[in-house]
Amino acid sequence: MAEVTMPTFPTREAVDFVIIGSGSAGGIVAKELSNAGLKVVVLEQGPHLKSADFKHDEWAYVHNEELVWGRRKGHPQTFRRSASEKAEIADASVLNYAHNVGGSSVHFSGNFWRLRPIDFHERSVVGAIEGTTLADWPISYEELEPYYTKVDWEIGVSGLMGPWDPPRSRDYPCAPMPVKSSGVLLERGAKAMGWTAYPAPVAILSQPHNGRPPCIHCGFCNGFGCEVSAKSSSLVTMIPLALASGNCELRTGCTAARIETDDSGRVTEVVYWEADGTVQAQRAKAVVLCSNGAETPRLLFLSESSRFPNGLANSSGVVGQNLMFNGSSRAVGLFEHEVNAHKSIATTRVVHDFYSIDAKHGFYGGGGIDERSTSAGRPMQAALSGSIFGGSSWGSDYKRNLAMEFTHTASFSGHCTSLPMASNNVTLDPEVKDKWGRPALRTTFMNHPDDFATMKFFMERSMEMLDAVGAIKKEGSYTQSGQTGGVHLLGTCRMGDDPASSVVDRYNRSHDVPNLFMVDGSSMVTSGRGQPTMTIMALAFRAAEHMIAAARRGEV
Amino acid sequence: MVWKLQKLTGQPPVCFQPATQAEPVSMLPSLDRRRFLLHSGFVSTQYSLLISTALALATPMASAETPEAALAFSTLQAHEAAGLESIAGRILPEDESGPGAIKGGVIYFIDKVLGSSRQEWLGLLREGLLELDAQAMNAHGSASFALLESAKQDELLRAIEQTTFFDTMRMLTMAGMFALPEYGGNRDHAGWQLIGFGHHQVWQPPFGHYDADYIARGE
Repeated sequence: MAEVTMPTFPTREAVDFVIIGSGSAGGIVAKELSNAGLKVVVLEQGPHLKSADFKHDEWAYVHNEELVWGRRKGHPQTFRRSASEKAEIADASVLNYAHNVGGSSVHFSGNFWRLRPIDFHERSVVGAIEGTTLADWPISYEELEPYYTKVDWEIGVSGLMGPWDPPRSRDYPCAPMPVKSSGVLLERGAKAMGWTAYPAPVAILSQPHNGRPPCIHCGFCNGFGCEVSAKSSSLVTMIPLALASGNCELRTGCTAARIETDDSGRVTEVVYWEADGTVQAQRAKAVVLCSNGAETPRLLFLSESSRFPNGLANSSGVVGQNLMFNGSSRAVGLFEHEVNAHKSIATTRVVHDFYSIDAKHGFYGGGGIDERSTSAGRPMQAALSGSIFGGSSWGSDYKRNLAMEFTHTASFSGHCTSLPMASNNVTLDPEVKDKWGRPALRTTFMNHPDDFATMKFFMERSMEMLDAVGAIKKEGSYTQSGQTGGVHLLGTCRMGDDPASSVVDRYNRSHDVPNLFMVDGSSMVTSGRGQPTMTIMALAFRAAEHMIAAARRGEV
Repeated sequence: MVWKLQKLTGQPPVCFQPATQAEPVSMLPSLDRRRFLLHSGFVSTQYSLLISTALALATPMASAETPEAALAFSTLQAHEAAGLESIAGRILPEDESGPGAIKGGVIYFIDKVLGSSRQEWLGLLREGLLELDAQAMNAHGSASFALLESAKQDELLRAIEQTTFFDTMRMLTMAGMFALPEYGGNRDHAGWQLIGFGHHQVWQPPFGHYDADYIARGE
């Protein structure tokens, strides 16, 4: 790729699009628009790290939050269970995401499950569920399928086409990753139960693709950046192509403060802070919010005005509502021989026999089970969380347990649905402020009873597989008091045809503001079964196509 | 995240989440910090000073083996280092499973982070150590906790297992033992060897017994 000098657009002249956020969605939108000849400015809060910067440094990344911005960096968040409580400052980030070019796609595990046809019209199939806002999507799987395939090939996904897949128009570009011992155990356990474990589709390369090398199996995916560019993050896939267009200016260390509108209710510019606190404002013909399911609603709230008193693009009043994290469960087994689940990628096999739990069980839910390292492959985490099967938490006995657990355990992990509820939401905290003086993100969250039943269901199926494959000891768990945060930040600006009950239309355009788009996890109407990034990226390709067409028609 | 703490608070073990979600230290403020004080009987300032003076003669064992590092403490006083090191040495003792926190140089990690990213814990640890030394005096007539024999140290530590002080020491001991050696601990990869972690950049299949067997059987 030829070196192209990055353009420097004057802030007082309107560029075609300002994109806020350079993560899973922002990277794709930036690449698509800029390669279509549109002038684009991308604002990114974090730094532009390169693959060579990434280290296997658990203390720095996990404990000192170097890749994320939490309380340590002046960004406290608050949490409460219900609207009747006063939210307290949380000790760790509730809504967790990375702050760097590429966003959370830099530190994710890269599990790229597509949604399935049922996900898009589930409300019509299962009916209303009390206490929830479960709704059909305005689009179908068939409409999104071409864009899933685009993600497979342009981003880079490894997998094996088979009867386990939802309908797909093209094979995966890369063969599946080699199975790990934990994957073999899951596959054997599933087989013994009459179920199917198939090769996990992952956004990590098993072979060279698009000029990037394959995975070296170092084991530091989850929470870390990939030092060889084998992980298909926005950082190494889309951002370089956006910059190579010569039409995209990437401004790092820039935090959006407010989106301004004119008398006609159209977006005119984005006000932002540079890293040193200097206030700037970039004029734009249109703005795309790709700031994730936490920051996108926050910025809309912060952009309130006399014309938009409840926050920008919020005539429906549902901005920030319907927050979903995906549920999870865990079942850890101890095995006779070495498993070494800390090596290579997070997971290599998935069981999707319970994508929709039979209604006869009396609750709604569905999901999948894959296999993981018990400690996300991290030595320090293993040491801090030892004696999994009981026993002392320090001393010689503890040490003996540690010596076995890191290498001889695997977790069969459930990933499942979260029901959308208006009472689960992101709002602005009335008291706590961040380092810029903005109201902190306040999360109000309590799972629906069916979420708990679903997590329990997946833990039980996982325990059955552990028994079937001969685990010496086993220990299962799921939250029984409710989730307190997550990395999947979904549903807070939901997509829909009805402006009274949704924030963006079927092409991710605001119902209220014609030149404002929201593209990230906030658009998702339902949670899927646990791995949303593939869908966020497919939506981004689709939305970008419509933005380009609209721009060419002079309609933005 | 900390499995045990997660269980205590009923939180989900979401192993695919970055551990920043539920970093063990995050739980510390919610524990009753004063509880440690309630366990300890009395301790007068004057008495504490006497203990401190007596302890100033003690030196950490790890530093005794590496004299060039003996002056290397940048945050802790030598007697404080000796006290905290003796606690770390019981949390991860040297035994038949291999070297513990003392040979692992954990105290150098602790000294380093208490002067940088974890300055806010220094006061808590200083206070807690004074309390523990007072308990050593009250219970066993010893000038310090560090000078007690292991069994008596374990007994005193078992009594304070639920305190913020102990939890913080446990967290720092594990962090120091398993962090990159450049942070001062995990000497000679003592921590990594204990759990069977080889720090290699590149791995190739087979990764473990079962995938080797899977390939051999042609499953």
